[in-house]
Amino acid sequence: MPSKLPNWLKIVLILAAFGLVRSPVENSLRRKMNTAGMLLPTPGHSAMAQMGQSALMGMLGGLRTLVATGYLLDSYRHFDNADWDANRKSLLLATYLEPTEESHWVDLVWHRGINAPAWLETRARLPEIEKRILYHEYTRDAIELGEAGLKNLPKSVEIRKQMAEVYREKIKDPCGTAKMYKEMLGLEGAPMYANRFYGYFLSECPGKEKEGYDHLVNLYWEGSHNHLPTLIKKILVLQEELDIPVPLWIREKDPDAQKQINRRIKKPKPLPGGIVIP
Amino acid sequence: MTTFTETRIKIPMFSPSRVWTIATGTMTQLVRMKTFYFLLVFAVLVAAIGNIDIKSASSVSQLETIKKVSFGTMDIFAWLYAIVATALLIPRDLEDRTLYTILSKPVRRIEYLIGKLLGVLVLIAASLALMFTLCLLMLAYKQSGFIADEIKMLQAAPNVTTAEIEEQVKLIQRQGVRPELAVAALASFLKSSVVAVMTILISTFASSSLFTIITSIFFFLIGHAHGMMTDFWLHKTEGNLIIRMLTKVFKLLIPDFQLFSFSEGIVIGAEVVPRVVWSMGFLTGGYLFVFLLISLMIFLYKEF
Amino acid sequence: MSEPAVEVKNLTKVFQTGSPGANVFKKGIAGSYVVAVDNLSFQVNSGEVYGLIGPNGSGKSTTMKVVLGLMSPTEGSAKVFGLDSGDIKARSEIGFLPENPYFYRHLSGEETLKFYGKLCGLKGKALNDRISELLEMVDLEGARKRRLAGYSKGMLQRIGLAQAIIQRPRLVILDEPTAGVDPVGSRQIRDLIIKLKEEGISVFLCSHLLEQVQEVCDHVGIIFKGRMRQEGTLEELVSIENRYSIVLEDASPALIKEIEKLVAKEKGASIAEQGNPKTTLERLFLKIAGRKESDA
Ligand SMILES: Nc1ncnc2c1ncn2[C@@H]1O[C@H](COP(=O)(O)OP(=O)(O)O)[C@@H](O)[C@H]1O
Ligand SMILES: [Mg+2]
Repeated sequence: MPSKLPNWLKIVLILAAFGLVRSPVENSLRRKMNTAGMLLPTPGHSAMAQMGQSALMGMLGGLRTLVATGYLLDSYRHFDNADWDANRKSLLLATYLEPTEESHWVDLVWHRGINAPAWLETRARLPEIEKRILYHEYTRDAIELGEAGLKNLPKSVEIRKQMAEVYREKIKDPCGTAKMYKEMLGLEGAPMYANRFYGYFLSECPGKEKEGYDHLVNLYWEGSHNHLPTLIKKILVLQEELDIPVPLWIREKDPDAQKQINRRIKKPKPLPGGIVIP
Repeated sequence: MTTFTETRIKIPMFSPSRVWTIATGTMTQLVRMKTFYFLLVFAVLVAAIGNIDIKSASSVSQLETIKKVSFGTMDIFAWLYAIVATALLIPRDLEDRTLYTILSKPVRRIEYLIGKLLGVLVLIAASLALMFTLCLLMLAYKQSGFIADEIKMLQAAPNVTTAEIEEQVKLIQRQGVRPELAVAALASFLKSSVVAVMTILISTFASSSLFTIITSIFFFLIGHAHGMMTDFWLHKTEGNLIIRMLTKVFKLLIPDFQLFSFSEGIVIGAEVVPRVVWSMGFLTGGYLFVFLLISLMIFLYKEF
Repeated sequence: MSEPAVEVKNLTKVFQTGSPGANVFKKGIAGSYVVAVDNLSFQVNSGEVYGLIGPNGSGKSTTMKVVLGLMSPTEGSAKVFGLDSGDIKARSEIGFLPENPYFYRHLSGEETLKFYGKLCGLKGKALNDRISELLEMVDLEGARKRRLAGYSKGMLQRIGLAQAIIQRPRLVILDEPTAGVDPVGSRQIRDLIIKLKEEGISVFLCSHLLEQVQEVCDHVGIIFKGRMRQEGTLEELVSIENRYSIVLEDASPALIKEIEKLVAKEKGASIAEQGNPKTTLERLFLKIAGRKESDA
């Protein structure tokens, strides 16, 4: 060999030089792929602390999705046993591994915010006070989990739909519900009814009734495609309640009075668990 | 008598046909060693995966689970195959002294190395293509079943318009067979190529197949997790200088395999950025080049 | 005069002991060394059969590997047809059969030859013709399509020989070609070596079994512990100038008595030995080995 460097040293030098050349390239590629969602983000320290070995396993090629699926299956088992805390833990671990997997978050919010409270209601033996505390705890947790999911998936419609359902059905909070529908507006894949539902629930939110009414009326005047019986009925009620000057009233008959067949009632949208949006 | 030298023989600097001879020899060897039997195992696994029945899951999320698990398994099989098949080649040639007969023919050592690598790569590509087809078939089968069920269910329900049925079907199709999935398979191929060339490098100084396999898997694990380990250890051992240096060294010397796991995101439904995929292809080329070069540096001075 | 086929000059090969892989990264710090070949010089003339003979571990294979360029010499040099060993051009003129070869077990005899033929740049009809010719020559026509996994030791050696000469090299290097082969098989191999010689191919072979090679070798070198101990033509090595032997067949004891009497009559002459003939070369070798062992 021409030079006096030993072979192994040359090899290490070449490897290191290649390492230096590729590391900026790789870093930029990693950033791009993270943005596009092609690469799944690595779990943070807190996740590692909780997962330990399986987190390391989960980082391996292909294994990550397998481990996550294992947790998912686990969560279904706990669901069947109504073990809500274990269910939450499994799903949370799945989200650590696949934080951008929307369905994990949706499932989390759904189990925590809908199924767990529903199960509580069937527990006749539980003291009322404890039920109430747990009910509050579950639903509040569901919303927090949903918000954590939205941090990872800011454009998620599905998580918001699920959160809206929790607000609407379990927390009975029209303001929260309205907020969720509002956030959906303009997002890709948002349901068409989101705009109307935003108005309906805003008009029930204390202090925001007028705002809600304005939104609905605007929808009404947008065109006849919005002239749905529910919308008309809501406006008819609101314009009286809010003392809207009569010249601004819409002139429609009460759709219920007509017994008109609802051609365009929102179809029953099956959510996980067969819950149906009215 | 002609004095021997230039007159009779002209040996090109690099002969693609010799490389190809070694590559095809490698392929025949691996095929006839029945290494392809792992595909049967894979087929059984995919069939099993297809039959996972999650009671309370919607068809969309069931389809997604099937897809994730089958593509994840495919990825694992691909890199495992890359390690095992490659590790069976050079150490075995050496053990069997076949290497002597090959290298005593007018074959350059670089041609031998490239031939072996090429043979393995072609086989990995072929097995990935097969596995990919299996996955797609399973997915298509499940998808059509789910869609048929969904349509039946929706048609039975009152007040459902065809547009709405279509919307539901589209939702299922989004988790079904899509062209992007081919890019996911490509990602697995790129990863296994880098794994294969790393294994070749290790096998140039290893003395047995087993040692090669174990070492390669060890480096694969480190290379897959060093980003995360850096995080983990640095956090645990707050600024321990030695560990910090060590992780830096690892990062510099060992391929970053985690970067090649972008099939995971694509399988879940991430958009594919063609520019990035091209870049990953070039990066793979860089790895192949540098690791082959180093393998050659070792192999060239290796004595048998 | 044509160039010698092989020219080895002052060849020394030192191994660092430890794992065979250890020398990848060149010489380490201290450690023990094995001198496998020690200042060895000899040459194989064009067209002759040269036999390197010595017990196991005496450095025969190492010498061959250096000649083939599979190893580099620690000191000295090895040239093939005037080219440095390891030169790819030299290798196209060499055919090599390693000791105890295993070829790809999953290939048939024909496929094996095709593989090596292609490596030498042969192709098409020329290659196919050559393969048929060689299979016939080494008497493996019948096993053409059979996989090597099912070959006997002798068949493996023969397909190995065919593989070695596929590109019509001018030099064939055979490492223990008859080791482990039954007498019939080893006879076949010796016939093949003679055939090669008749075709003008130089042969460099080594063996630890002397009687198996002595009849085919023109030149013999005796190597022991890496050093050349004695070298020359078969005649030179085995004939003893002041001796003469008559080998009788079916002689009666009476005739032998008669001869003994005759010998006794001549002044100074005596019968040095009698009995059933032995392989003289083997005896010579044993003597040399024994002497070196005692003075080592
Ligand atoms: N790669 C190697 N590393 C270390 N020692 C070796 C190696 N190859 C051969 N040797 C040693 O060199 C000596 C000569 O071996 P070899 O040439 O194979 O002998 P032969 O072929 O005459 O039986 C032996 O002592 C052997 O142990
Ligand atoms: Mg030997």
